[in-house]
Amino acid sequence: MKLVAVSAGLSTPSSTRLLADRLAEAAGGELATRGLDLETEVVELRELAVPVANNLVTGFPPPPLAAAIDSVTGAAGLIAVTPVFTASYSGLFKSFFDLIDPAALTGKPVLIAATGGTARHSLVLEHALRPLFSYLRAAVVPTAVYAASEDWGSGGDAYTDGLPGRIRRAGGELAALMAARPAGPASEDPEDDVTALERQLSDLRFD
Amino acid sequence: MQFGIFTVGDVTTDPTTGRTPPEHERIKAMVAIALKAEEVGLDVFATGEHHNPPFVPSSPTTMLGYVAARTERLILSTATTLITTNDPVKIAEDFAMLQHLADGRVDLMLGRGNTGPVYPWFGQDIRQGIPLARENYGLLHRLWREDVVDWEGTFRTPLQGFTATPRPLDGVAPFVWHGSIRSPEIADQAAYYGDGFFHNNIFWPAEHTRRMVQLYRRRYAHYGHGSPEEAVVGLGGQVFMRKNSQDAVREFRPYFDNAPVYGHGPSLEDFTEQTPLTVGSPQQVIERTLSFRETVGDYQRQLFLMDHAGLPLKTVLEQLDLLGEEVVPVLREEFAKGRPAEVPDAPTHAARVAAAAASKGESAA
Repeated sequence: MKLVAVSAGLSTPSSTRLLADRLAEAAGGELATRGLDLETEVVELRELAVPVANNLVTGFPPPPLAAAIDSVTGAAGLIAVTPVFTASYSGLFKSFFDLIDPAALTGKPVLIAATGGTARHSLVLEHALRPLFSYLRAAVVPTAVYAASEDWGSGGDAYTDGLPGRIRRAGGELAALMAARPAGPASEDPEDDVTALERQLSDLRFD
Repeated sequence: MQFGIFTVGDVTTDPTTGRTPPEHERIKAMVAIALKAEEVGLDVFATGEHHNPPFVPSSPTTMLGYVAARTERLILSTATTLITTNDPVKIAEDFAMLQHLADGRVDLMLGRGNTGPVYPWFGQDIRQGIPLARENYGLLHRLWREDVVDWEGTFRTPLQGFTATPRPLDGVAPFVWHGSIRSPEIADQAAYYGDGFFHNNIFWPAEHTRRMVQLYRRRYAHYGHGSPEEAVVGLGGQVFMRKNSQDAVREFRPYFDNAPVYGHGPSLEDFTEQTPLTVGSPQQVIERTLSFRETVGDYQRQLFLMDHAGLPLKTVLEQLDLLGEEVVPVLREEFAKGRPAEVPDAPTHAARVAAAAASKGESAA
């Protein structure tokens, strides 16, 4: 099965990308213990910044963006990681998800995560990212992972797990949802879209 | 097959001079462009309908009636007539009147319109766009075919014993195209009535156009009007030509870069690769347009957008000379090659009158 991680980090190397990779590893490890093979693809939004802007202007995705959207909507599970900009997800992160059909992520297992310079922004996951994916009717796992700069060099304390423990827990939750969810129709055939349209149309009064 | 032009009727600043034409000048330019279309041998002129600046054509049948009086052969059409916010009774009457004045050289393309506030300005709700298109066209269809109509619906007052006047010329309603870019319901509506389907593909990748037309063709057969290949399909196109393709690119680029619809976005090169826009020599336009047939099958009407984004009238008229003299004659010849016999010709009033007479004869026999 396929897992897609969307990373909205802008620098190279990027701690957002690093967090996305670690979350994907954690989910993959958990799925492996269940005897399931995982193929992981990372979508770096930085490389799609201009196609995203062009889609906003023209209304259709240029080829590299169309491929990324297809990957995200076709995946068995999704990891979405953004840096915190001005108290929320980054504009590029939001713009990318603005371009995805609102029904395309329905029921999809999603793990949300964010990075930032200070742990004071960690609730961005709960007041910005979780409502976004709730609107899209995705199945967002309970543990969302926030990595502040200091988390990369410290452990847990009496009140919470350290970053590695939170990554393991979140990856495990995502893997459990993905394993439990029956594989969707894996058709790559665009003809099927027409068939689907025809099915919707059978509700119309014309017949 | 029919070839023509369609205009949005936008008043746009020419980015190379900074000059914005007054509305009066733009309206007169639209007429000059329509007359030129007939002069260079094109078949169709179609105008948009808008009720907000920077667009001028709010009253299509007024303009088309004027053009009808000054032309002999040109088919006058719309792109599009708003089936959602216009009263279908008024559409029935306006276009039947135009049909008489133009001796049948009239058809129309229905669309929903995509400017949110236009709906409330005309007392409607954009969220009801599809149901409005469905109910209003159902009524329009009857008004042209039944002399006395009793009707009740959701969106307008009921009609009892109503006769739309004048009756359609020769008892045959104007041909209707249903235009939609991405609503399968409209492709289905066109198929249900056995009407034409126009896909304004000019801002969209070919794959999307292929799917929509394919859906329309399949539904056309589903509703029993004939084979998928017998359905009536129209496409848009957008071109800018000079003898030398480098000259075309150099001259058109500032208009592209500042165009209201797609300007300040993708490069001219990306956009020409991803959409039907062709900027180059007449030969390049011919090759590109012929490739549309591979996307949608043999089709009936090809309309080009030629006069937008602030291009001056003089330039547009030069473009129409190139289109009429160098492009369309070759397209007529090439599209005719290998065209299966079952593919219908583009609809004309004369052909529809003859078909109506033939089917009447059949039912009498």
